[in-house]
Amino acid sequence: MPRPVAAMAAGLAVAAGVAMADDLAEGRRLFVEGTEPACAICHSLADAGAEGEIGPSLDELRPDAARVARAVRGGVGVMPAFQETLSEDQIAAIAAYVARAAGGG
Amino acid sequence: MMEPRFSRRGFLVGAGGATALGAGGVAFDGAHAPAAAQEGGLPDYAAWKDADALIIHSRNTMETKRGAVGSGGLTASDRLFIRNNLPSPDASITADPDAWEIAIEGVARPGTMTLGQLKRLGVTSEASVLQCSGNGRGFFTHGASGSQWLTGAAGCVIWTGVPVAAIVEAMGGPAEGATLMTSTGGETLPDGVDPASIMVERSVPIAAHAHAMIAFEMNGAPLPLTHGGPARVVIPGYYGVNNVKYVKRLAFGTQESGAKIQTSGYRVRPVGEGGAASQPSMWDMTVKSWVTHPLTDPGSGRVQIHGVAFAGPERASGVAVSLDGGQSWEQARFYGPDLGRFAWRSFVMEADLAPGVYAVASRATAEGGSVQPEDFPPNERGYGHNGWRAHAVELTVA
Ligand code: HEC
Repeated sequence: MPRPVAAMAAGLAVAAGVAMADDLAEGRRLFVEGTEPACAICHSLADAGAEGEIGPSLDELRPDAARVARAVRGGVGVMPAFQETLSEDQIAAIAAYVARAAGGG
Repeated sequence: MMEPRFSRRGFLVGAGGATALGAGGVAFDGAHAPAAAQEGGLPDYAAWKDADALIIHSRNTMETKRGAVGSGGLTASDRLFIRNNLPSPDASITADPDAWEIAIEGVARPGTMTLGQLKRLGVTSEASVLQCSGNGRGFFTHGASGSQWLTGAAGCVIWTGVPVAAIVEAMGGPAEGATLMTSTGGETLPDGVDPASIMVERSVPIAAHAHAMIAFEMNGAPLPLTHGGPARVVIPGYYGVNNVKYVKRLAFGTQESGAKIQTSGYRVRPVGEGGAASQPSMWDMTVKSWVTHPLTDPGSGRVQIHGVAFAGPERASGVAVSLDGGQSWEQARFYGPDLGRFAWRSFVMEADLAPGVYAVASRATAEGGSVQPEDFPPNERGYGHNGWRAHAVELTVA
């Protein structure tokens, strides 16, 4: 079952402050619909309700934030590079969110 | 008896690469461990594979364990690595292979032919090495994205198929001035994505078509969906990505494919740079070898050290083995049948090992004189690693 990000964010708000929870929510939003094409079209990630099958399942891959950020910046295989369309802050938000939601750190 | 003389930077240990160290001696990033995918086991489309012989990186990427590529010259089909850029199409496409249609374009008389019709035009068979461009990526230490392949995104198999040259001839020859051959894969693309951004379509220099085939058999059995069946392009000597699976179109012309996988993907460039058409494309493979046995303590005394060596489009002409991390080398011997210039050769060197620690390396030479380098420069996507030092194995003999 997907862990709703709101609950996750609430948990984190206690642990790490409200700002970080906001970043995670923004990371989730970017993941689901904020990039062109959206991460969710190609990847599955239960927390985001994403069931894309083009790329690896992020729940299985469990990448850490650095690995996500690298992939998003430069692209991998048929995955496009996003460094020209996303800011570093946005990439950091997506990376932190994916790592957290997939359990990779 | 050979005494161990060993002092060195970093070596790759053992069969599973459990304590892999890159050339810089930096411990392998734990996040790259494929354990998560391994838990899930084999996906349906690859259920027939020998899971014990594979490292499962993800649903679409699995490599053969270092010691499992086979020592008789060929790699068993159920052990051959899998690397799919996109999920494979539905298994129903292999139900009636002869009905599979391929459009042939950029020839004097273009048209669409079924595999059954194409088979009437000719047949050929070739043993060749299939190797992913990123094989060895896991030996780089700059953190290149993608599957952290060690040695196992490579295998040597026998392909049978229709020679592309026979097809082109039957269709009146290539269009005038054609410089490239472009193959398009039959994967289903998702909605909401520009097809050119993810389709598998690769162009190679037209000269490659002289040896290319539309393969329909692998190791004597119908080409399975898992490896591109019912029909895939095989271009001996070229990196895996050019050997387009489920091929549905073969075209001759002067324009490189506009697919991203061609224009900016599979391009070698410095770390930190984006991909661009001006950079070298992953076309022909380079000279390479690695030791496949022993990978764990064989016990002291006489040992047969073996491995595989190949040279892409050339014939591998020899291989030297070092037990001391490259301070001294001894010529190994090829054994087994010579399956042609595109196949790999199994090599063996006999050694008497006293207890101690050995850094076992191999260094292949190609017929044209090129020699496997000691190191291979890091590049953004972690392609083409053939450096012998990073491929060496540390062996502790008790
Ligand atoms: C058009 C489809 C597509 C889109 C859109 C896409 N990806 Fe990917 N992604 C892939 C594919 C395919 C791979 C596997 C690449 C390979 O190994 O060849 C991949 C790989 C990855 C990896 C693993 C990289 C590694 O080191 O192995 C991560 C992490 C990732 N994607 C995250 C994302 C995120 C986050 C987004 C959104 C910003 C995204 N992807 C958008 C297709 C896509």
